[in-house]
Amino acid sequence: MKVTASQSGETVIAAVSGRVDSVNATSFEQELSKAMEGGSSRLVVDCDGLSYISSAGLRILLLAVKKTRAQGGGVALCRVQDHVREVLEVSGFTRIMTVRDTVEQALDSF
Amino acid sequence: MDVSLGVDVELDHREPRRVVEVFERFAAANGVGDVVVQRFCLALDEILTNIVSYGYEEGSKDPRIRVDFGLGDGCLEVRVEDNGLSFNPLVDAEAPDLALPVEERPIGGLGIHLAKNLIHDISYRRVRNRNCLTLTQPL
Repeated sequence: MKVTASQSGETVIAAVSGRVDSVNATSFEQELSKAMEGGSSRLVVDCDGLSYISSAGLRILLLAVKKTRAQGGGVALCRVQDHVREVLEVSGFTRIMTVRDTVEQALDSF
Repeated sequence: MDVSLGVDVELDHREPRRVVEVFERFAAANGVGDVVVQRFCLALDEILTNIVSYGYEEGSKDPRIRVDFGLGDGCLEVRVEDNGLSFNPLVDAEAPDLALPVEERPIGGLGIHLAKNLIHDISYRRVRNRNCLTLTQPL
């Protein structure tokens, strides 16, 4: 798993690649926290390279949504692969998280 | 079963990932489609993570966890057995309330829900002090 962070205006874009499971979910959480260190409350998670996520990874996404919303921002996911999208749908996460096709649409969702 | 493979699993939090990788190789070698493979990987990961995290009391002697993959009669079957605490995930795992707003959604509790909803058929039996969970998918 790898997280590459960049900034677009006031929004942080975190591109996640690889697999997120119970073994590395804590690292995923730390990487996202590091990406948000500058004080931004808006996060786009670019899932183009994310091949797999288990419930341990979903927990971290949910925590990020709770944290950023409490600060007046939020999380938008984009470029989600079909399998990961199915996992988000079955978890009910597509109801509580913004999911868009492109990075630009995710940035525009705030 | 026409083809089968058994894997003994240690009581270690890194084991679910290893078993999932073994399953991926087994499924690929036998031509199982991507969607089914992905769903089974996740279900297996969640079930095993649950067992190695909560299935045994600290200091449990002689933990035995075994996974068997099988293909035959147009079906994929994965059987997970453990001699840990009695746990029927089909009954004992509380279903998450997916309608809750994000502020009220609890962190966690999704693993078994995912497994139950991604796999065509899951059955549970308690046999000779073992939890036996069977995941079946017609191909």
